[in-house]
Amino acid sequence: MEKQKLVVIGAVAAGTKAASKAKRNNPDLDIKVFTKERYISYAGCGLPYYIGGVIKEKQEILVRSPEDFRNNQGIGVFTEHEVKKINVSEKKVIVEDLKSGNVQEFPYDKLIIATGASPIVPPLENIGLANIFTLRSVSDALTIRELLDSGKVKKAVVVGGGFIGLETAENLKYRGIEVTIVELMPHILPPFDEEIALYAQNHMVDMGVNILTGEKVTGFEGIDGKVSAVKTSAGDIEADMVILSIGVRPNTAVAVEAGIETGAAGAIKVNKYMETNIKDIYAAGDCAENTNLVTGKPVWYPMGSTSNKTGRIAGHNAALVKQDESMKDSLEGVLGTTIVRLFEINAAKTGLSERDAIREGYDIETVLVPGNDKAHYFPGNKRIITKLIVDRSTRKVLGAQIVGEGAADKPIDTIAAAITLGAKVSDLAKLDLAYAPPFSMAMSTTILSANVMMNKLTGRIETVKSGDVYKGLEDGSINILDVREEGEFFISAIPGSTNIPLNEIEARAGEIDKSKETIILVCKLGERAYSSYLKLKKLGFKNLRVLEGGTCAYPYELI
Amino acid sequence: MEKYINARGLQCPGPIVELFKVAKASDSGDLITIEVTDSGFKKDLAAWCKKTGNELVSIVEEEGVIKAVVKKG
Repeated sequence: MEKQKLVVIGAVAAGTKAASKAKRNNPDLDIKVFTKERYISYAGCGLPYYIGGVIKEKQEILVRSPEDFRNNQGIGVFTEHEVKKINVSEKKVIVEDLKSGNVQEFPYDKLIIATGASPIVPPLENIGLANIFTLRSVSDALTIRELLDSGKVKKAVVVGGGFIGLETAENLKYRGIEVTIVELMPHILPPFDEEIALYAQNHMVDMGVNILTGEKVTGFEGIDGKVSAVKTSAGDIEADMVILSIGVRPNTAVAVEAGIETGAAGAIKVNKYMETNIKDIYAAGDCAENTNLVTGKPVWYPMGSTSNKTGRIAGHNAALVKQDESMKDSLEGVLGTTIVRLFEINAAKTGLSERDAIREGYDIETVLVPGNDKAHYFPGNKRIITKLIVDRSTRKVLGAQIVGEGAADKPIDTIAAAITLGAKVSDLAKLDLAYAPPFSMAMSTTILSANVMMNKLTGRIETVKSGDVYKGLEDGSINILDVREEGEFFISAIPGSTNIPLNEIEARAGEIDKSKETIILVCKLGERAYSSYLKLKKLGFKNLRVLEGGTCAYPYELI
Repeated sequence: MEKYINARGLQCPGPIVELFKVAKASDSGDLITIEVTDSGFKKDLAAWCKKTGNELVSIVEEEGVIKAVVKKG
């Protein structure tokens, strides 16, 4: 009997994962992988660290070579071979060898599309100048690294403050280059909520990165064909290198031409088995859409973690000899869990942001809670700030964000697992988590923030968000009472606030200005403000609010 | 006059609050030595000096103990 043929288009994360999984499950398959790129199976997410020199050798980012696949697994990988057309009715792909120009047809029984995504390059004035790059492929990284190693780059501009842009900015800064980030949105890390994103933004500014937000790049200027300046809505910025990290688009042209349906953000529509609308054709990785596990709606999260999963599922299902439902592997959905290190802080996110949740029509409650990643008395303990977003009616956890100097990976993964299993905030508060002083607080940050959320949901505490305090300062409608010690207040405080330390609050309650509607209680973390809230409430004060996260999570100006 | 504060083992904001109190009761030219184990102190100290105009004479960190000497301005 003739061997069953599997063709895979694309050979980075999802494509190579799919091919490997299919071969492992069904060694009799004849598998051919086509990619128009020269390099395969590379660590795309590692590229910013390669240009920074943290990852020293090119070989380290190339996970596996075509020879590895051929010799060890019997999978044929054809680099610099572009699939020009999928002939659905005859089950063939038409492939051009980009080096020789030869065009050949290859038949398939099953086809997996893993064509990935490409960086957006907007049609701006003089975009074709030399030394304007995107950072997506190994070839991009090699060219950028070579230019940096030549020592000719003194000033760089990064367009776009998403993960790749920020990681690139960090790596360039570590190489001694003056870096400016230009972001169109009001803050960097656009998928994060404002107070978390601004915390990260303030840190990057402290580390010496220039950041322009709410500004637009309009074009470029050059000398001798090389970029010399970036034109923006805030004026020209000198630059001898530009990194465009505006975002990516799914590569779907070949699929669309073949009649394969696309959905969210133009990515290929797939069901939970990674099947497209056309029989025997699967899609996986960055070219395919995903389902958000919280909302159940189609989304597009082009991420390495998800690409590997969907590639594995597509490989598993395409390799099945019998298409029996019960044998199929599937993915119900993803949370868009992400994490990034920016100099000395970490920022992580899972599930819905506050903004997403409101847009989806949820009635939500949020908290912002500082804590330590280890026992507060254990050397090396560092702060992290946890934001939880909870559905008020079902009390289910919808999302979380974590930022700070401390370890953010463990708590975000804990919460991601909890959301995946449908946890309510009360479940989160009662999790039996590992504790010893070098690893956690006795009540971990996750449990602590869940408890604060429970207090809020049950009306034990009323709070206010930093953003609302900031807005209130502008219109003068609020009265801010800082209950920290005089020495702390003196060093830095919210403009316009007055100081009565917690231990004097009852004796000096008469000094509190009652003319304004709301009294905002402020301390460093929120704990002393909560104590003063309870004391003042007992004294008959009304309209009290505790500033969530205290001054340590307040991302606006302190004086 | 020379003054000494042992703020070892105190968590933030303990050390800066102690320094603030002692400095308040000191005269211009007085030297205050403070020993602290909380790593967050350095940032607070820099901000405090900037704001008060007090001079940071020296700061050394040995085996987890930060020893700072400030001169009241």
